[in-house]
Amino acid sequence: MTKTFGEYVRSRREELRLTDPSYSVRQVAYRIGVQPAYLSSVERGLQSPPSEEKIRLLARELNEDPDVLLAMAGKVSADLLEVIRTRPKLFARLIRELKHQPDRTIDHVTRQVRDGDW
Amino acid sequence: MIFLEHDRLIFSFPEVHENATCHIELMRTLRIPDDGKDYPLPPGLGRFPLRYVDDFAHRLPESWLTRGGVMFPMYQSEALWIRLYGTFISTRETYYPFAVKIATGKINAVTGEAWADGISEAPQDYVVIPKQPWLDGYTVEKGFIRQFVAMPLGSGYSAEEQITGEAEHGGIQIIAYPMKREVFEERFPEVKDSDIRVRSKMKSPKAMGTERAPAMGLAPGGRMKQEIYIDPYGIDDWDTGKFSRCFIAIANSLVWRSITGENPPTMPPTAEEYTRMDLPWFDYYDDAPALNGADTLKGLKSVAELGAENGDAPLPENQSVTPGNIIAIRKDLKENQVREEKW
Repeated sequence: MTKTFGEYVRSRREELRLTDPSYSVRQVAYRIGVQPAYLSSVERGLQSPPSEEKIRLLARELNEDPDVLLAMAGKVSADLLEVIRTRPKLFARLIRELKHQPDRTIDHVTRQVRDGDW
Repeated sequence: MIFLEHDRLIFSFPEVHENATCHIELMRTLRIPDDGKDYPLPPGLGRFPLRYVDDFAHRLPESWLTRGGVMFPMYQSEALWIRLYGTFISTRETYYPFAVKIATGKINAVTGEAWADGISEAPQDYVVIPKQPWLDGYTVEKGFIRQFVAMPLGSGYSAEEQITGEAEHGGIQIIAYPMKREVFEERFPEVKDSDIRVRSKMKSPKAMGTERAPAMGLAPGGRMKQEIYIDPYGIDDWDTGKFSRCFIAIANSLVWRSITGENPPTMPPTAEEYTRMDLPWFDYYDDAPALNGADTLKGLKSVAELGAENGDAPLPENQSVTPGNIIAIRKDLKENQVREEKW
């Protein structure tokens, strides 16, 4: 069964805690700026996922992709929403057309050569 | 934006024009003898395999990842030329033009100057697509270049090390600027349907043929006849606000498999083997005005010259040859006529 947002965060945090005690609920909550009781509730599914900003901080703490955590929380990042808002019909069509394509095809369509610092 | 497709870099500027696309390929070739003689154009022996550096991050030096871009393998016994071509637009009977600046080890291959983004007209430090179909080496004097050949970075032979005294960058750097849309549309108006000759789009050629990656640099090799053409348009025609650039790192072919898990291409023939089999060399003809060579590049020593000075023998195979089978290519290339020979 697919894990919920809370279950996934909890399992990931506990995994990290096995080797690093600073991944207790209390300390992670402190680092992302929420109450430990609130984070504990989110992990147990008693509260809705937090804001995009907090999810991004949580992703950084847990070394996870923020877009993946946002998607698990039923959210889309603000920058993506802004992109879609500029050309909604075009991007809606693009996403629908690509939804059944394999990862490799999508990677091929979207991947650019990265320019770095030189 | 730049895409990598079938070992080809595709520079695309849809924000400028829907047809503003050019293609750049790194072609394998044999190393012409570095013996003071002037040689015609050697053949294309297929494209070098290009890979994203990001895909092999765990096996590459940090500096390669910082620069981004792509990489390819090269034997010390081989050379390369850079193939440049655009997208043919039949309704305007032309290719979309680009200004392309090319450097090795961040030393400009046309002027010998240190790398800077942007283009300059005095001296002209870029080539123009589609005017320049290829670039085989460093512009040492009008009508002559010294071939791009591979040498280990740090051995002192690369153009970068000879000019700057440092072996810091290596690789190849390319930046492309499209022609301004309004200039393009004015210079190349749409032709009526009845005026469009039956002419197919130029096809691309068929390819024939956690450790540190020992980096290779490009050094000046043998002398070859090749003209670097003067920009037929003008510096103001280029959209310098829109550009894409790419760092292309070069790995020694001997470690390519340990980086990527793929075998590198087979070793190229020597010039002597190639000529003995009577395979063709090429001579490109276009009477357009060409650039003079740059003093800095003229002052470079070839690998053989520097090796002799150092009491070194960097070129085990450097026998002079006399090409007998030379094919003339005119400026309007026929479809698929790209200096490639079957093997």
